[in-house]
Amino acid sequence: MTINANTKAVANPTKAFFVTMITRDITLEDCILDLIDNSVDGAWRSEGSRPVGLAEGVDLSAYSIDINATPDSFCIKDNCGGMTLDDAIDHAFSFGRPAMAEHDDYSIGVYGIGMKRAVFKLGTEIRIRSTYLREDGVRESFAVPINVTDWLGDDQPPWDFDIVEDESLAEDGVNIQVTELTPGAKGAFDSPAFIQNLRRTIARDYSLHLNRGLVISLNGTAIPGWQIELLQGTDFAPMRVEYPDEVNGDEVSVEIIGGMAAPPPESADPDISDEGEKRFGWYVICNGRIVLAADKTAVSGWGSDEWPQWHRQYSGFVGIILFTAANAAALPMTTTKRSVDTSSEVYRRARPQMREVTRKWIDYTNMRKQALEEARRVEATAGPVSLYAVRKQQTVTLPRLVARPVEPVANVNYAVPVARLKRLAKELGSIRMPYREVGLKSFDYAYDDLVGDE
Amino acid sequence: MPSFDAVNYSLRPSKSIQRHIVFEAVRTLQNDLDLDNMVYIGFGSIWFTDYVMAHKILGINEMVSIEASDVGFRRAEFNAPLATVRVIHGHSSYVLPTLYEDEKIRARPWFVWLDYDYELNETLRDDIRSVIENAPANSLLLVTFNGAETRYGQASDRPGRLQELLGDVVPDELSKRACKDDRMQETLADLALDFMTSVAADLARPGGFIPSFRLIYKDGAPMVTIGGIMPSKGAARIAGDITSTAGWPCRPERPIRAPHLTIREAATLQSQLPSIDRLTREAVRKLGFDLEDEQIEAFEAYYRHYPAFAQIVA
Repeated sequence: MTINANTKAVANPTKAFFVTMITRDITLEDCILDLIDNSVDGAWRSEGSRPVGLAEGVDLSAYSIDINATPDSFCIKDNCGGMTLDDAIDHAFSFGRPAMAEHDDYSIGVYGIGMKRAVFKLGTEIRIRSTYLREDGVRESFAVPINVTDWLGDDQPPWDFDIVEDESLAEDGVNIQVTELTPGAKGAFDSPAFIQNLRRTIARDYSLHLNRGLVISLNGTAIPGWQIELLQGTDFAPMRVEYPDEVNGDEVSVEIIGGMAAPPPESADPDISDEGEKRFGWYVICNGRIVLAADKTAVSGWGSDEWPQWHRQYSGFVGIILFTAANAAALPMTTTKRSVDTSSEVYRRARPQMREVTRKWIDYTNMRKQALEEARRVEATAGPVSLYAVRKQQTVTLPRLVARPVEPVANVNYAVPVARLKRLAKELGSIRMPYREVGLKSFDYAYDDLVGDE
Repeated sequence: MPSFDAVNYSLRPSKSIQRHIVFEAVRTLQNDLDLDNMVYIGFGSIWFTDYVMAHKILGINEMVSIEASDVGFRRAEFNAPLATVRVIHGHSSYVLPTLYEDEKIRARPWFVWLDYDYELNETLRDDIRSVIENAPANSLLLVTFNGAETRYGQASDRPGRLQELLGDVVPDELSKRACKDDRMQETLADLALDFMTSVAADLARPGGFIPSFRLIYKDGAPMVTIGGIMPSKGAARIAGDITSTAGWPCRPERPIRAPHLTIREAATLQSQLPSIDRLTREAVRKLGFDLEDEQIEAFEAYYRHYPAFAQIVA
């Protein structure tokens, strides 16, 4: 063979390659969240696409999203307005979004990949149905049935999916039914732990929507939204600042809130399990969706730029940063919407303010160790305030504590079987008493018995 | 409770009934699942009641009994009722891992019944996890533990305690009410079964874990028996089908509370059964004695399994 101007290597993709690529690097949980995002975007569109900050009084209680996940099938249905036929023809089923495509204001969906990726990850027998109100006031319904095995069998372009007429759904919305689940999906939906964790993730990541009345239910049970609260009192007040920024001509509104959500732990031992620990750290919210929760890594800054690495001593801190933009492409989130794009300019510009409030908290927890009793006393006077009700304030307020000289101390460390410790803890007042406290109480008990008053 | 209802405690008729129900049910499974050459593993103590049943009802020969206590071990060896019972000295958490490596049994289906007398705790949970992660295909795992609410701390501590023990499967909104009185045993049974199912699912056990046993019984303290089948991939559907039929006996709706009866009372009542009509209190009175309605109902439900205990050596 001779090489000439027409000699080219074939670079056409196959469908199978595409499907493998787009589904491999995303978790099943994130795929389901992608489908919820689509529904949420629908609700938001129906409500007139307003900014998704904290203050706006939007009521989403008319909208509901029902998810049913069993080892045999998966279904998500909503009454959030539905997908239009034009959207289905031009965008929803194409791989990637044309650069010039219009976007829904204040939406979360941005890459035009979520729904396909999700359904391919879930199973091979798929039916997507939509009922919506056309601009001329006529209700229209259609369905897109996909048999993945058949579809993969033919790589010849053009790649497309059939759209067929369909009966109307009870309410305008989208209904996605997946059967012949993939082994991964089947296994996950068979696990009560997976289902409970999915419930927790939804409660957290959509807490802003759930708190506005949106109903999301999983296997028949409605999910309550997380209440994010900070503590406020005479010596404590969270910071709350807001400023506009801009990315390639798109305006992005940034809001940062941070402060104490709970007093720091009594002990910084890393081996003590503390459920509350999961709540603390930085939260990043893009157009109302929590894309990063309770982060303690370099993504939010810990362990970089002179911030120390996260340590249990810093537990109790919660920081929230909200990015709101009409064009979702301007938001600093990754395609999986599960993390922050740390190279984003708007995010990098916000980092110094995030660092400042974090730094103040770190300093406080250090100072606190020298004046523990005083700290506990003032911390106890602070009361919870809802995220929505935090007052505007340029910097966080934390008490100044005066260190008191302390007696030299001995640290005691010993190991006993857990079962025995639990039994003793129960007798000392609570089976869930921290190990450290069981140790102290038993020391006091023995001291009182054997030494008595000096 | 009047003392004559409690006096038979050491003989534990309810425990005996639940054991019979389980062994009979497992026998029906033997017909449909590949359970030949099964190995029985449990805590035979010095009585080995379940071992004798495993041999006689299920035809199991190979049996392993785990015994932690020093004196108990010597007595267990002395009391082993069959030549094929192997007593191993040590805590279950140490002995179980050695069995996973045991050439003689590691490729055969196991019937593991960890019959603890204490509450669900960290050790017990770790044993459950370890068996689900390592037992051969087509094995059964049953676990019995004390479900008395007070064993799990004060009411306000219990939801948190369960979360500590069973982790993610425990709903964040688990209420105090779900952890009180008789509800506590139901909650423990459901969540522990969820835990077992999740361990198998997370590990992608080829046939998964099919929750099949859920019995609560009460002689003294309320006890919870839960368990399931870890079928081979091919047997998963049939195992699921058998154990989800209405006739599957190992998920009784109500706790088993067997009345404490004398041999004469039990024999007299039995002589009236089976019968299409319900046995009434009126009828019992006519027989010459009396029982509470609840006791009559329980006897009628379980008389086929009601044990006959008698002192044989004075």
